[in-house]
Amino acid sequence: MKRQAIGIIGLNHNTAPLEIREKLYIKEGSIPELLAKIKREGINEAVVISTCNRTEIYYCGDDNDEMVRKVRRVLADAVAAKDDWFDRYMYIFTDEEAFRHLFLVASGLDSMVIGEPEIFGQVKEAYRIAASARTTGFFLNKTFHKSFNVAKRIRSETRIGYNPLSISSMAVELARRIFGNLDGKKILVVGAGEMCETALKYFQKEGLSDIFITNRTYQKAHKLADEIIGEARPFEALFELLTVVDVVLTSTGSDAPLIGLDMLHMAMKKRKNRPLFFIDIAVPRDVDPAVNDMDNVYLYDIDDLKELSQRHLSNRVKESEKAHVIIEEEATKFSDLLEKIDINPLIGHIMATADSIRSGEIKKTMARLANKDPELADTIDAMTRSIVNKLVHPYLALLKDNQDPAVFDTLKKLFQFEDDDENEMDSGDERV
Amino acid sequence: MNIYLVYTALGFYLVSTFIYALSLALNKTFLEKPGYYSIATGFVVHFASVVARYFEAGYTPITNIYESLSFLSLCIAGFFIYIRRIYRVHMIGCIIAPLVSLVVIMSLNFPYEIKPLVPALRSVWLPIHTILSFIGNSIFIVGFIVSLLYLVVEKEIKKKRSFFFSEKFPSLSTLDRINYRCMSLGFPFLTAGIITGSIWAGFAWGSYWKWDPKETWSLITWIVYAILFHNRLALGWRGKRTAYMMILGFLLIVFTFLGVNFLLKGSHTYI
Repeated sequence: MKRQAIGIIGLNHNTAPLEIREKLYIKEGSIPELLAKIKREGINEAVVISTCNRTEIYYCGDDNDEMVRKVRRVLADAVAAKDDWFDRYMYIFTDEEAFRHLFLVASGLDSMVIGEPEIFGQVKEAYRIAASARTTGFFLNKTFHKSFNVAKRIRSETRIGYNPLSISSMAVELARRIFGNLDGKKILVVGAGEMCETALKYFQKEGLSDIFITNRTYQKAHKLADEIIGEARPFEALFELLTVVDVVLTSTGSDAPLIGLDMLHMAMKKRKNRPLFFIDIAVPRDVDPAVNDMDNVYLYDIDDLKELSQRHLSNRVKESEKAHVIIEEEATKFSDLLEKIDINPLIGHIMATADSIRSGEIKKTMARLANKDPELADTIDAMTRSIVNKLVHPYLALLKDNQDPAVFDTLKKLFQFEDDDENEMDSGDERV
Repeated sequence: MNIYLVYTALGFYLVSTFIYALSLALNKTFLEKPGYYSIATGFVVHFASVVARYFEAGYTPITNIYESLSFLSLCIAGFFIYIRRIYRVHMIGCIIAPLVSLVVIMSLNFPYEIKPLVPALRSVWLPIHTILSFIGNSIFIVGFIVSLLYLVVEKEIKKKRSFFFSEKFPSLSTLDRINYRCMSLGFPFLTAGIITGSIWAGFAWGSYWKWDPKETWSLITWIVYAILFHNRLALGWRGKRTAYMMILGFLLIVFTFLGVNFLLKGSHTYI
């Protein structure tokens, strides 16, 4: 097995406006199909991440330029993307740049709201979908698992995830500027996804106690309502609800806006122009952007909230720097690791195991050492490295020279090499 | 005597203005309280000056431009204190304090010596009519300021770019409620002012209504506020539309109060 190139084609909230992101958004249900198309093009590993703020395709194969062309073609077909979009809005990263980017994404450092935790779940989910579509193999498995580790490390070692200035808190702040005191204000949630749940819990804490939930699938609304003490209403009651509530949070997967000008004109008349505040976190949008021009109607979509979060960014810069240092360190380490697993994953595993033992021991030794001379540290490092390499070399040589499965199995047992996840490996024959 | 009290009051108003400006510039809300107490003290002293002048002059001192402006600023300060206590809104004082100071300074540019009252104004209706009218006007002036603030804050929230005012000033709903309060309190005072004026005219001029420019323009003003009042209650006019109407009403008040005297000649040219 040869070391392969890892790449990303994608766009995010920094590179593309909402209108474009809406068009390139790939629904969860359509991802397996897209992955299958990519695979048919001869790219054996791919993962698709598509959230309201980004659509990214991770791929892995032999010829990077060739893959870029193929992925572009598949993506252009799938979402009817215009040719110039790729140059104007999209980025392409390869190898170290690519997994550095993935690390940033998974840790929430590339998010609209820096450090927000939702993206971590979304990356995991994207990986899970790809794994069950059997489009992940050795390299992307390793890369994604590494990204989960990095994200966890950043969460535990920096305060970037602390006090999350989530979309919800910004929404509450804006609601205060419109309504003043939020006690007794009524909120309607359209959609029953995870975002809604997080947001609702926050709103509840802030005094918005009358909660209505509606969703195309009533059962989902009902379930969410039970979880957070709210009232589930049928989707047909949407108009009636718009006449009574004060704040509306929308987050559905609908392709077309659910709430348009006509509907709202009628609703506003009925509610005697009492102000109505929309928070539309759906991509594509659920509320027609034109309603913001109506009197007493206020609409903030996901991009507006991004703008706001930027304002609060300055005090997080320090933590974010710390996180970037970690990412840099992990990306370099990971890059080295990939260089080493040139030949086959078992060799990579053996080297990684040996190296982790080595670095663990070095850490302990350095901690005990009174003399913290960097030159000494370097010498110890070099010495242990060469000991480890010499010890490991016979096994590696045996593996390289010998294709006997019995040798493979023995070494596998010896170094406790097994799959982390049953879906992780694409197929057995790729291992040797 | 009364004039020294006015200067003292002006001092407090200016201190209040300064504190409010400081609180705005440094973004320190705790400075709002001293600002408020300062304007409240100014109000008390100012009120004392009017009482003193009443005894010194022997008539209700709302008979010339100086007295009118001074009394108007007193009413504005008083109504602000009332609003501030009910809604516990803070930063509106940033605008009221300088405004009150300015009106007092303006008033002091007009002759303020006490002169014997012209015979035409010697009536029991003088205090009733003028006090009611001035309270009404001052309420509408506060309404005008609140409306301007509403429009600015509303624009910020809609444009989504800068949040300077919306961060500091009350929420849109609060501003709208204050606006409604101004409208529903100012309107009865305005109405009562016109009615008492008309009654007084009936005694003084022998006719309750003779389409004197001041009468005409106050009637126009009254109609504008009446429309606004009706639309608010019947059609649910809120927010921006109310604010625009309040601004229009204010411009009419200014014209009725000052413009008519300077531009149009009528029987109502005492001040």
